[in-house]
Amino acid sequence: MASCAAMESTEALLPLAGTRVLEIGGGVPAGFATRWMTGYGADVVRSEGPEGALTSDEETFLLPGKRRVRRDTPRLRELALAADIIVEDGAPGALAAHGLDPRALLREKPALVITSLTPFGQDGPHAHWAATNLVAHAAGGILSLTGVATRPPLQNGGAQAWMLLGLNGFSASVSAWYGALVHGEGDWLDISAQECAAGMLEYAGPRAAFDGTPAQRLGNRVNAIWGIYACADGFAGVCALQRQAGAFLAQMGEADLMEPRYLDPGERVANDAELGARIEGWFADKTKRELLELGEKHRVPIGAVMTPLDLLGNASLAQRGFFDLAETREGAAKIPGRPFLGLDWRAGELRAPAADTAAVERDWLGGAR
Amino acid sequence: MKKLPLEGVRIADLSMMWAGPYATRLLAEMGAEIIKIESPRAWDNVRTLLPQPGAPEPWNTSYYFNDYNRDKKSLTLDLSQRAGRALFLELAAKCDCVIENYRADVLDKLGIGWDVLRAARPDIVLVSMAGFGKTGPERNLVGFGPIIEQMAGMASTTGYGDDGIPYKSGISYGDPIGGLAAAGAVVLALIQRRRSGRGAWIDLAQRETMAQMIGPAFAAAALRAEAPVHRGNRDARIAPQGVYPCAGDDQWVAISARSDDEWAALARAIGAAELAALPLDSRRARHDELDRRIEAWTRAQDPSAAAETLQGVGVAASRVLDANAIHEDPHLEARGYWVRLPHPKMQAWKQPRSSWRLVEAQPRPRRHAPLFGEHNREILCGLLGHPEAELAGLAAAGVIGDAPVNPGVG
Repeated sequence: MASCAAMESTEALLPLAGTRVLEIGGGVPAGFATRWMTGYGADVVRSEGPEGALTSDEETFLLPGKRRVRRDTPRLRELALAADIIVEDGAPGALAAHGLDPRALLREKPALVITSLTPFGQDGPHAHWAATNLVAHAAGGILSLTGVATRPPLQNGGAQAWMLLGLNGFSASVSAWYGALVHGEGDWLDISAQECAAGMLEYAGPRAAFDGTPAQRLGNRVNAIWGIYACADGFAGVCALQRQAGAFLAQMGEADLMEPRYLDPGERVANDAELGARIEGWFADKTKRELLELGEKHRVPIGAVMTPLDLLGNASLAQRGFFDLAETREGAAKIPGRPFLGLDWRAGELRAPAADTAAVERDWLGGAR
Repeated sequence: MKKLPLEGVRIADLSMMWAGPYATRLLAEMGAEIIKIESPRAWDNVRTLLPQPGAPEPWNTSYYFNDYNRDKKSLTLDLSQRAGRALFLELAAKCDCVIENYRADVLDKLGIGWDVLRAARPDIVLVSMAGFGKTGPERNLVGFGPIIEQMAGMASTTGYGDDGIPYKSGISYGDPIGGLAAAGAVVLALIQRRRSGRGAWIDLAQRETMAQMIGPAFAAAALRAEAPVHRGNRDARIAPQGVYPCAGDDQWVAISARSDDEWAALARAIGAAELAALPLDSRRARHDELDRRIEAWTRAQDPSAAAETLQGVGVAASRVLDANAIHEDPHLEARGYWVRLPHPKMQAWKQPRSSWRLVEAQPRPRRHAPLFGEHNREILCGLLGHPEAELAGLAAAGVIGDAPVNPGVG
């Protein structure tokens, strides 16, 4: 089998080399939407957001490789028209309030891609509602499904409403940019955090829409063979479909587990609690490493709950060159780097706020491209 | 009306379950032609994962399958047969991209790996999205979204904080995250191909795209050896913040007071004006007490009305929309987010529009998910130019089909 590494170019060929991206707003959504654009070669210029918009760890992850210009630069409109892609996460109407009305910009530069990332979108009765990550997460539906039924709905770790919005912003923006390259037409993208989540509620969303079946919070145990269990050194899990149920139960090594009451999907529902107790006991005395080895050996979906600290030392991620190194005032930090292999990627350095104002104005506005 | 950005792009889609199909639904929404390929003997499990009782063709009547596979075409091909592989390679030669989310070793074992595809079309883009990638010592681990979430660090960061337990998301979160990233990867590779004339093989490990979603936690771990802190629904920089019970069964409202002013407004709204001047440090220190005061007010409130009241005084709040309530949300309704697509074998139900709203090109769902093998003739005879007379022989040999062989519960 040829490896991806073997087919990589001998010369750097960054897919977004020569592409100018202006990030306005400065929060997590815009910061994450442009993070991968930076690594894949775009010249990303960040117009600073409000002070404190990002934590220091968010800055360490989101800002390497970006050039930073002062927030109040009087030449922002010129920079906007010199850009290929604008990504912003201000309130609805914020661009227009700064003299950057998207429709007006598109009239002047039809190939421009303008991506607006907001909690609720540009219009509608809640468009101007105040939102935090938690509030946006609540409006998107995922929050209602996470946690246990006897306790409140539980937010995911990290700022998932904002990160999900940023990820959508990335893929949507580069898609629109491809269209601009091929068809010569850009567009204004109105992307809301609520809608990004509302359309990905797995089966619970379409099921409720189809027949009104309510969804419950199932905690860590959807059923006996789909859940997280305590193990000898933490937590681990199994997620077996029916076609994998037999292999999973067989590798547990207890003959009676191969009886129809556990193997047959219909009968297993009736015996789920009993089977869950058996599996709980089986997980309890095994380490994560032992469990992962069993999963690989028997080709059944077994995982282990890893922390970021665990993963910084993970051999597979190291071998695949997953991490970048970012120099910070606290020292060098390993951070997630390229999201996938097969296209050239560059790590970047962290720049000081407004450090690049003059250079960017010279490069982007100083003469014809 | 402007063109959709990916009009003219054709993608052969070997992916199944949710991660890959989510990627190709996004690409379809942007105008790409997606040809979904399934074998009569190995179909997308999601077709039959949640069968409707009594449905005569469960593989064609799944709302779950339909929501994530609309705007695609269906071609059935048994890739374990020589004739199936040959037809697939004919198709690949007419496609810009092939996307698959098999386990790491499967594509090569089927005899249609990167070198074979590149021989069929030298500038093809192949996107492989195995859970742990094509290389590395963990490449052979098997994983679905919840496993990816555990192995990427995400589950370790989620918890109530008082029980020491990490929690999985209520959805298979690793899948759509991998899908969203894969859609971007396809487009980046097409942009590169446009500039260089070269194809690309994207090796996307779903674990690695998931880990990006907690990128700042890696910085904290690397710089200060920080372990994840389970904050429940609280926030290190905001107080008070939480999810509070409302009137009704399992009804909740999420509330955040981001500033002194917002707290003062919240305090007055809940009848706790005597606490309105509390600074942030005090609100943090007395968070449990403030939660009780807020809850004393929310318990008598309808969750939507509570959110409206608080937003009216400038406080960030939202009803926790559950799977039913979200389909009745007045804001999404006003934005025309839900659409009812006709389906030949099912009643119409509310499906989401593209969340990537190109204001001028206006992407809209166009067609229900394809019936099994619905486009066999169109693709094999129309696109590939085979005579119609071949179809009967291919069907008799099980290379193509219009129903899965021995369909069961996925």
